[in-house]
Amino acid sequence: MSEKLPGYGTITVPLDRSVPFGAVTPAPVLQQELFFTSNWRIVRPVIDDEKCTRCMTCYIACPDSCWAYNEEEDQMVWNAEFCKGCQICIHQCPTEALTPQAELDFEDGVVRLDRPF
Amino acid sequence: MADKRYLTGCSAAAQAAKLAEVEVVCSYPIRPYTAIMMELAKMVANGELDAEFVHGEGEHAQLSVVLGASAAGARAYTGSAGVGVTYAMELYSPIAGGRYPLQMAIADRTLDPPGDFGSEHTDALSFRDQGWIMGWACSPQEVFDNTLMGFRIGEDPRVMLPQAICQDGYFISHIPDTVLVADPAQVKEFLPPYKAPHPLSMECPVSHGPQIRPDQGAPMDAQRAATFLGLPQVIKEATADFNRIFGRNYDPFLEKYKLEDAEIAFFIQGAHANTCRQTVDKLRQSGVKAGMARLRWVRPWPTHEIAEALGHVKAIASVETSTSYGGAMRGGNLIHELRASLYDLDQRPVVTSFMAGLGGETIWPEDFEYMAKVITQMAKDKKADQYVRWIGFEEE
Repeated sequence: MSEKLPGYGTITVPLDRSVPFGAVTPAPVLQQELFFTSNWRIVRPVIDDEKCTRCMTCYIACPDSCWAYNEEEDQMVWNAEFCKGCQICIHQCPTEALTPQAELDFEDGVVRLDRPF
Repeated sequence: MADKRYLTGCSAAAQAAKLAEVEVVCSYPIRPYTAIMMELAKMVANGELDAEFVHGEGEHAQLSVVLGASAAGARAYTGSAGVGVTYAMELYSPIAGGRYPLQMAIADRTLDPPGDFGSEHTDALSFRDQGWIMGWACSPQEVFDNTLMGFRIGEDPRVMLPQAICQDGYFISHIPDTVLVADPAQVKEFLPPYKAPHPLSMECPVSHGPQIRPDQGAPMDAQRAATFLGLPQVIKEATADFNRIFGRNYDPFLEKYKLEDAEIAFFIQGAHANTCRQTVDKLRQSGVKAGMARLRWVRPWPTHEIAEALGHVKAIASVETSTSYGGAMRGGNLIHELRASLYDLDQRPVVTSFMAGLGGETIWPEDFEYMAKVITQMAKDKKADQYVRWIGFEEE
C-alpha cells in the first residue's frame, strides 16, 4: 500500500512498574499489607490439634495460602486476614480436624469489627 | 497422509482437539456446540484420547476448570454457545490476564430472549475485548484448521493467550462437508507440546491470580496490550507454517476473494461467506465488479490489512450477523471497526452495513444481490444514505 497509515505506537513497561507475567508469584510469599480479603468471611475453619496429622492437605487446598506449618511449634497456623471462609480446607481435611464455626461466635469475628480488615 | 472424511463443524473441532492431544476437557451441554463434547467423550471412553474429561456444573465452572488445568500445565479445551458463553463472562478476563493459552470452541447461538437456537455472532463477540484471540471459520475444514492454529498461536511463548475458535451454529456446526483430517505426524510437526511456565510443582510452588494493587493493574493491562502488538507476526508465521505443512493457502487475516479489481465489496465473517462468494461470481457474470473480504480473526483486528485490501474499492457492504443495539451505526459490530480501519485513507470507500442472518436466518443469494444493488448506487453517489439496513424489515 502506498499510503502510510498510523501505527499503534509502542508499549514498554518500566522495570520498576513491571508485574510478574500473568501475576504468577512464587508461593508461599510474604503477605502484602494492602487488601486484606477476609472481611466477607461468615465462617472460619477451626482446627482440632489432636485430630490434625500435619498432612498439609489444607496448605495445598487453600486458594489463598492461608494455612502454613510452623515447624518449631509443630502446628498448622491459620491466617485470619486472608481467609475468606470458603471452607475448601474443611472439606478436604482427611481426618476431619477442621470444622466451620460462625464468625459471630468469636470476639474478633469480622462481623463484630468496627472497621473490618 | 491426511484422511479425507465427511464431517460436521462439531466433529471437525473434536477431531482436531484429539490430534492436538488435549489433556483436560471440560463440558457442559448447550446446543449447538454440544456435539463437540459428545465426540470427545466417546474418544475418551473408547481409549482413543488420553484426557481428563470433566463435567462442569455450568459454563462458569467449565471455564474455571480449564483455567486451573491450563495453569497447572495441561493443554485444556472447553466450549459453549449462546447464553452459555455469556454465563461464563467473569472468567474471560482472568484467563487472558493470567496468560492461560487454553482453547474454547464456540458454535454460535443467538442470545436469549427467549431461547432462539439459531446462529448469531453476538455471543462470542460480547467478550471480544477481554484479551482473547478470536476468529470465525467458514467451513468444517477451517474449524479443524483453526483449532490447531489456535493452540499453536496461543501457546507461543511470545503470546500465551486463550483462543476462541468460533463457527456458526448449524450452518457449520451441523452440516457435514469434506474435511482433510491431518496425519498425526503433520500435527506433531506443526504443534509442539504445551510448555506451561509454571507447571504444578511441589518444589516450586506458585500462587496464581493473587490480589494486586491498583498501581499494578495498569502495567498488567499494558503488558497484555503489548502482546497484541506482536501477535500479528506470530499469526503470520503460524499460518505460513500451517500452509506449508498441510498444503493449504490461508491468508493470515483476510480471505480476499476477487478483490483486486473490485469496485464494490462485501465485508463478512463466518458461514454466510459461502453464499456471498457464489453471489460475487454471479454478479461478475453480469458485469458487476464485486469482491469479498472475509475476516478470519476479529481479534487481533487486522486494521492495516483491511485498509490495504479494501482501500481501492468504491463501496463496501458490511454484512453483520451480530447486534450492537444503540451503537454508532445502530446495527452490528463489524462496521464500527471496518470504518475506523479505513478512516485514515486519503480516498475512503463508502461503507454501509446490512443486518442479515440474525436469529439463525439464512442470508439468501437474493439478499446479497440486494446489498450489491444498494452499494452500487452508493458508489455512484459517492455517499452512504444510511448507516444500516435491516434486511426484510425496511419500509417498502
